[in-house]
Amino acid sequence: MSHDSYIQLKSVSKKYSRGGEDLIVLDQLDLNIPDGDYAALMGPSGSGKTTILNLVGGLDVPDSGVVTVAETEVSSIPTRQLPAWRARHVGFVFQSFNLLPVLTAHENVMLPLQLTPLSAADRKKQADFALEIVGLSDRAGHRPSQLSGGQEQRVAIARAIATDPDVIIADEPTGDLDRNSADEILELLNRLNEELGKTILMVTHDPAAASNARRILKLDKGHLVSDEINRQASGQTQGEA
Amino acid sequence: MNFPVRLALRHVFSNKTRNGLTILAITIAVFLLCFLLAVVRGIDAGVRSASSTRLVTQSAVSLFVSLPMSYRPKIDAQDAVTIASEFRWFGGYYQDPANFFPQFAVNKDRFVDMYVKDFEIIEGPNGITGPGAREAVKKAFATEKRAAIIGMGLRDDEKYNFQIGDTVPIIPAIYQRADGGAWDYVIVGIFKPLKARIPDKIMYFRSDYLNDSIDSGEAFGEVAAGVYYVNIDQGSQSEIIATSIDQDFLNGPQRTQTVTEAAFASFFVSAIGNLPLFLGTVGGAVLFSIFFSVVNAMLIAGRQRLKEAGILQALGFPPITSCLLLIIEGLAVALIGGALGLALAIGTQDLVVLNFGDSIRNYEIDSGLILLAISTSSILGITAGLCAGIPFLRYRPTEALRSLG
Repeated sequence: MSHDSYIQLKSVSKKYSRGGEDLIVLDQLDLNIPDGDYAALMGPSGSGKTTILNLVGGLDVPDSGVVTVAETEVSSIPTRQLPAWRARHVGFVFQSFNLLPVLTAHENVMLPLQLTPLSAADRKKQADFALEIVGLSDRAGHRPSQLSGGQEQRVAIARAIATDPDVIIADEPTGDLDRNSADEILELLNRLNEELGKTILMVTHDPAAASNARRILKLDKGHLVSDEINRQASGQTQGEA
Repeated sequence: MNFPVRLALRHVFSNKTRNGLTILAITIAVFLLCFLLAVVRGIDAGVRSASSTRLVTQSAVSLFVSLPMSYRPKIDAQDAVTIASEFRWFGGYYQDPANFFPQFAVNKDRFVDMYVKDFEIIEGPNGITGPGAREAVKKAFATEKRAAIIGMGLRDDEKYNFQIGDTVPIIPAIYQRADGGAWDYVIVGIFKPLKARIPDKIMYFRSDYLNDSIDSGEAFGEVAAGVYYVNIDQGSQSEIIATSIDQDFLNGPQRTQTVTEAAFASFFVSAIGNLPLFLGTVGGAVLFSIFFSVVNAMLIAGRQRLKEAGILQALGFPPITSCLLLIIEGLAVALIGGALGLALAIGTQDLVVLNFGDSIRNYEIDSGLILLAISTSSILGITAGLCAGIPFLRYRPTEALRSLG
């Protein structure tokens, strides 16, 4: 499937109430991300980066404007149907990994697959495959507490791709990791984008992490202040291709 | 095992200290509930098993005032009365005051016929058993003045081990013998109670043995009947007959008060206060307080699961999944505790009967109590899980993900 704007935000506004005052987080924001793109969202705290992720991932709804993902107007999906939509279309990678500590790596990866109509055997196969992609087949039976931070994040990525979603949303995926582990994760995200064609939207404060993305979007006070093609990453891709 | 159940069970065993203590509290509560209700039901069983065709005539003044022997023919003469027998409390013991069991002086010609439906004679003279035993015992009871019929508990309990033909000395507490000795009774029959109100450690002996001994000066006391047990025709109106009996003795040496056997049995229960209500209240209070502690434990579990709820929602699970997980967890904790409490109650049943069987009669953890314990535990767990889980229905995933849970 290919669309000019795979992820599209049209005149999206969002405000939160804090201490009785309205805090405008996004103000009439327009954003277009094509299918298969890898975009990094950067900006100071409170600039609206995570809010964009939440809106695109259907975790939150805009006060006004339209959010469209793969030609589906996410902002008009009834709240009750949003979880099912998320399960089919979006994979989340969080800064603090957010694995369930009582489950093994394999069981964590199996979690989103519970919502699919696949048979138990196919789910297992799919989870095995996802763990293989992230290079953790040998850690499948380990619990999160028995894994390093980098391994935990790789399991989280395996969980995010287990259902083969269209979009991967990564919120500071390297924020809690040391440099080596962060590089491994970024390399993995590159592969997901280049080899599996996943559209990736990543929030990061880390310029090194952002340099892996093909586009770098900068936000400030709810406005998109810059939208740059990262020639280095694009060139790499073109070169490899 | 499907996903929610597996995940909920992982949570049950992941926080061993908190859930272990909660399970222990439920175990104790369910054990106490079973124990107290078994005691209450045992007491009630005695009242419930009272015959609907039997009246008890006692002194209108007090149960401790004996009625005269002369009343029986007049009671017998009442319409609808089939048979009546005196029943007099003896209150002795065997060898040691600790070896106490009830003994009653009854009519030698009427008692066995009167209790056809209440006990089954299982052994008579010369080792006779089976259908002929009742007649043989009746005959022996009418022939041997010192004859006594005992419940099977006095045969089976090693402390007594009374057998047919044994002469059993009973030391009197009320009717002292002039020679200062014990009263000797010869065992002629052993019965198995068919009604819960009849204990299996009890002895019936002939009232004329007692009265004749008093009359001849061999023993001290008063020649009297105690109370009268009166069998009436099936279908007759007990209240009318009772009133009629009492009317007959309105101007006699002792006025009477005639009540149904059930009312008479209730009198003994109420004499020690409303024990069933008291025990039931204690059991209910224990359960009620445990309920709050389980709810509290589940609320703590709920707070710790807030982030998990956010993760599950982000992955595409509806909010009700987290609510359901807490309900399953609450149910699992409560059922484990309930099962352990039930196992403890069943496991200690023989011990309770062995040690307290004389005072806690008809103690049994029956299928009704098992069902009650399981259903109470289930309701407890589900309710506690609901209390913790319902708030999850209104959390938004972004809110839940921000929590520290």
